[in-house]
Amino acid sequence: MSYLSVENLSINLGEFALKSLNLELDQGDYATIIGPTGSGKSILLECIIGFFTPEKGSIILEGRDIVNDLPEKRGIGIVYQDYALLPHLTVFQNIAYGLRKIKKNIIKGKVEDIAASLKIEHLLNRKPGTLSGGEQQRTALARSLVVNPRLLLMDEPFSALDPGTRKEIRQLLCDVIDKKCTTVIHVTHDMKDLWALADKAAILRQGKIIQCGAVRDVFERPVNKFVADFVGASFWEASVDAKSNGITNLKLGDFNIFSKDNAAQGEIVKVAVRPEEILLYNAPPDNLNGDNLFKTRVEKIKCEGDVWAVSVKIGDTKLLVNSTRNMMSGLYPKPGDTLYARIDTDHVRIVR
Amino acid sequence: MRKIGWFEAVLIVLPIFLTGALLAAIISLFLVPTLAEIWESLLSEEMLFSLKLTMWTSSLSTALVFMVAVPTGYSLSRINFWGKSMVKAIIDLPIAFPELVLGLCLLLLFGNPVLQNFFGRLGFDFVFTKQGIVLAQFFTALPYAVRIIKSTFDYIPPRLEFVSRSLGYSMFETFLKVSLPLAKSGLLAATIIAFARSIGTFGTVLILAGGSYMQTEILPITLYLNISYGNMPMAITSGIILVIVSFIAILIFEKSEASI
Repeated sequence: MSYLSVENLSINLGEFALKSLNLELDQGDYATIIGPTGSGKSILLECIIGFFTPEKGSIILEGRDIVNDLPEKRGIGIVYQDYALLPHLTVFQNIAYGLRKIKKNIIKGKVEDIAASLKIEHLLNRKPGTLSGGEQQRTALARSLVVNPRLLLMDEPFSALDPGTRKEIRQLLCDVIDKKCTTVIHVTHDMKDLWALADKAAILRQGKIIQCGAVRDVFERPVNKFVADFVGASFWEASVDAKSNGITNLKLGDFNIFSKDNAAQGEIVKVAVRPEEILLYNAPPDNLNGDNLFKTRVEKIKCEGDVWAVSVKIGDTKLLVNSTRNMMSGLYPKPGDTLYARIDTDHVRIVR
Repeated sequence: MRKIGWFEAVLIVLPIFLTGALLAAIISLFLVPTLAEIWESLLSEEMLFSLKLTMWTSSLSTALVFMVAVPTGYSLSRINFWGKSMVKAIIDLPIAFPELVLGLCLLLLFGNPVLQNFFGRLGFDFVFTKQGIVLAQFFTALPYAVRIIKSTFDYIPPRLEFVSRSLGYSMFETFLKVSLPLAKSGLLAATIIAFARSIGTFGTVLILAGGSYMQTEILPITLYLNISYGNMPMAITSGIILVIVSFIAILIFEKSEASI
C-alpha cells in the first residue's frame, strides 16, 4: 500500500478544478508536480493539507482517509512561495511555532539544530521583515521541517529567489530532507528543482495528472505530445517497419529511425528523443556503431546560457538539439547550414 | 518654480478651501461663549450628569460593539456562508439610514409588548431608559466597527492562518495567536471610531431612549435641549466637548490606520 494515495480527487472552484485526480507516493518520495499555470497544482496541495474540501475522492495517508480531518489534525506541513512567516514573531518564535507541549529547553535545542542545518542560527532574534528573501525562505523551511511533518508540501518555494540563492537553498533542503527522510510534494516551474531534488515527477494538466513516474522516465518517455513539449522532448508518431537483431526499424514520415526498444511489426507507436542526447557533426562521423545518422538543415540557433538550442530539420520533420558550449565548438552553425545529427539507438524511446 | 496645470491646481485648492471652511465653522464654536461661560457650563449639574452618562453609555456600547464586531468582521472576511452578501448589506444599512429611522425601527422592535416582556423578565428595558441609550449607540456604531475590522482582516493574508493550522493550531487558536495580534491596529481604529460614533449618536437615542432632561440626557441631547431653551453657552460647551472627543478619535484613527 502506498504511503500517500490520492484517489479520484475532484473539486471545482470555477477558475481552477481538479478532475478525478490520482496520485500515489511511497514514504520518503520526493515528488515534483509540474504543469502550466492554472492546471490546479496549488489547489491539489491545499486539498491535501485541508484548506479546501474536495467534492469527491479520498486522500489516504498512512492507510487512513484524512479527507474529512481538520488541517491541524493532518500533520502535513506547507511552504509557500511568499514564505508566510508570522511578522509579529521573531525567527526563533516562527520556527518554534509548531513545537507545542514540549519542554522549553527541548524546543530551544530543536530550533537551534534545524537553524544550524539551514544556516540561519545567527538570525534567530530577528523579525521576518528584516530578512532577505533567501533567509525568509530558509526560516519557513525550518518551521515546517522542525515538527517532522508526515508530508511536506511546497508551493513554488524558490520562485521568488535569485538563481544563486535558489541553488544554495536547494542544496541545503536536499541535505535536510535526506537526513529526515521526509516525504515531499513540491510544485515547481523550474526544471532545475526537479533534477536536483526529485525522484518522481507528475505532470498536471487541466486538473488531471497526465503522467507520473520516475523523473527520468517522464523526461525520456513522455506519454503524449503535451508532456513531450512540456519536458522539452521531440515526439512523433511512427509505424514499425521491421525488426531485426533486437533493433526496431520505425518509419517516421519520409525517413526511418532505429530504436533498441521493442515493438511489434506494423504497430503504430510514439517515439521520443531527448534534445540533449543528439550529437551534431559538420561531416558524417566514422564510427557510427549502428547509431542513427541524419543529414539536417539548421533552422534556428539560440544560446540559453550554458546550453545551445539548435533547431534542425530532417526533411520536413523538426528536431530540437541541446548542445553544450564544448560540443558546439568547431561547428559554428548558421541557419541554412547542413549538419549531421547522430542519435544512439538506446536514446530513441518507444512510448505506449 | 515648477509649473502646474489647471487640474492639479483645482486638486490642491479644493481641499484647502474645504478644510478652511470647516475649520472656520469649528473655530466659531470656540469664539461665541467666553471662557468663564464655558467653565460655568462645564461645571453645571446638568453638564456633569450628561458627561458622566455619555462616558458610561459610550464605553459600554463600545465594549459591546467590540465583542460583536470582531467575530462578525472576521466571519465576513474569512468564511463563506449562504446569504453572506445579504448579511453584509443589512449590517451596513444603518450607515445609510437616517439615525431617526434607525431609532424608530428599534423603538418599534423593542417596544413590542412581547419582546418588552421577554427582556423585562431578564431585567432589561430599552424603551425610554438608559439601557436604551446603550442599545441605540450600539446599533449606530456597529456597522462602522464591522467595516473597519472586516477590511483589517481582509489585509491579513489567509496563508498565515493556513500555516498556523498546518502546524497544529485550531481555527480559534489561530485566531487568537495570528489573526488578532496582526489586526491590533485595525481593532484599535475600530474601537476609537465606535466610541466616537457612540458619543455622537443623537437621532437613534432621541427616538429609542427619549431626550429627557437629566434622565436620558447624553451630550448630543444636552446640545439639542439647550438650543431649544436658548441656553447657548451650555449648547456650545457640549458641542465643544463633542468636537474635542471626535478630533482626538480621528487623530488616533489616522495613526492606527497608517500602521495597518
